[in-house]
Amino acid sequence: MTPRQTPAVLLLAPVVLFLALFLVYPIAYASKLAFTDPLNGHFPSLANFAVLAHDDLFWRAVRNNALLPFLSVIVEIALGLALALFLSERFRGRRLLRMVVVLPFALPEIVVLTMMRYVFAPRGYANAALLAAGLPAVDWLRPGQPLALATVVLVDAWHVTPVVFLMLLAGLSAIPDEIEEAARLDGAGRLARLRFITLPLLRPAILAAVLLRGVDALRIFATPLVLTGVEGVPVLSTYAYHQWSDYGNDAAAAAASTTLAVLSLLVCLPLLRRREAR
Amino acid sequence: MKRNAALALGGLVITLLALFPLALILKQALTPEIESFAWPPTWFPHTVTLANFRTLHRTVELARGFGLSVLVASLTMLSTLGLTVSAAWIAARRPRLDRPLDATLVIARVFPSIALAVPLAVIFVRLHLYNHPAGLGLWLAHTLLAIPFAFFILRNGFRAIPVELEEAALLDGASRAGAFWRVTLPLARPSLGAAALLVFLVSWDEFAYALLLQVTNRPLPPLLYYLAVFGHPGLASAVAAIMLVPAVLLILVLEPALRSGALTGSGR
Repeated sequence: MTPRQTPAVLLLAPVVLFLALFLVYPIAYASKLAFTDPLNGHFPSLANFAVLAHDDLFWRAVRNNALLPFLSVIVEIALGLALALFLSERFRGRRLLRMVVVLPFALPEIVVLTMMRYVFAPRGYANAALLAAGLPAVDWLRPGQPLALATVVLVDAWHVTPVVFLMLLAGLSAIPDEIEEAARLDGAGRLARLRFITLPLLRPAILAAVLLRGVDALRIFATPLVLTGVEGVPVLSTYAYHQWSDYGNDAAAAAASTTLAVLSLLVCLPLLRRREAR
Repeated sequence: MKRNAALALGGLVITLLALFPLALILKQALTPEIESFAWPPTWFPHTVTLANFRTLHRTVELARGFGLSVLVASLTMLSTLGLTVSAAWIAARRPRLDRPLDATLVIARVFPSIALAVPLAVIFVRLHLYNHPAGLGLWLAHTLLAIPFAFFILRNGFRAIPVELEEAALLDGASRAGAFWRVTLPLARPSLGAAALLVFLVSWDEFAYALLLQVTNRPLPPLLYYLAVFGHPGLASAVAAIMLVPAVLLILVLEPALRSGALTGSGR
């Protein structure tokens, strides 16, 4: 090591040390816990995973956890794209409206979820609005029903679509006006311009949003927990929490959350490759 | 004209959808709790009162929860910046060192909280940091959570400062540390400010670690959760109203950083 390089190592040391203690060590600890038989201490053992495999709630959690990222990404990209296209039009009050669109993301997650509990409760504001419009009330969050999953997806979308909106808006504003202008002069209609110019040029931004929202949706925790409890719309995060807080079963919680962590890392790989490519 | 009507309608729908739940929370916070149980619910407040806030004030837990939230967020801000400033600078100047750190922090950014909260809870129990009255365990967890956000913002900030300025200071006889303190750091003040505010907000808003690591000494997010789950709409809404004040204020300040993608971790 040359003397010039010594300070570089020292400058990196604090954060590297912290990550080693509070990121790497807990991950290793959780993996060991997950693969240790709690009864006889054998390692490696699949005993904890066998407990999970015999639990219906775990399989429901796996199913929801597989489904949720797809639904969330589709809904959020569609909404975010619509908002970004709408707010890249030129009109008065656009700046203010952009702030309004971002506002839901500014609210703390738990505040959003508390509000939505009151909106979607059986005797909540959504049903009051339906009744006022002469429509029947709906049980939005009934445990185990597809509608409850849809409500979770919608509530999550309400909170985080602004992130997708901002990413796509940045992508849109990077497209030079001249290209659209040229296409317009060549007689391309609004839809044709969207289909053949805007969307292809927006592809990298859309892909980035899909990846980011995908990994975030995979580890969703608070939304299903606060809206439906641990058994309404179980996902791997809430299942691990349930094992930990309701049964005090550290090992089963570690096994479930390690499963989730491995899934997250797999989805994270393309994200890392994109950064390498830059 | 047709275009204007469509724009106006779109704007109205967006505004209503974005603000409506917020208005409901404020309504429930400022009306007597009994009104929040009414069916059909009232859309506008019938009676306006601060009774919910007074009730919360009388119960000790709100003041403690508020204090704990502020303390943990402030400590997290200090520790996160302290840990990341030097690393972000060297990462901005040496891409070769940046690459492994960048990859590690992307992983840290997407890693499920629950998968860290469970082992951290077990480890913290042994270290007497679990459910700590001053939230020390939660502080460490929040620092871990906030490091990627701060690092990405600061690294972008340092990259925007021309390396020539530092070299000029070195030629003028400044030491490396002196050049950093007197030239680089003052120029990086905007990104330092943005990172500090964002880190405060990340800790202030955080729910999962707080729920798992502070089971009885609760900061505001789990306190709000229990009030909501155990059927206190008025009190829960009042806590929610308190929680969203700094969040909304800070986000207005943070808007430029938000737009550059720093908040989402997508910033280049």
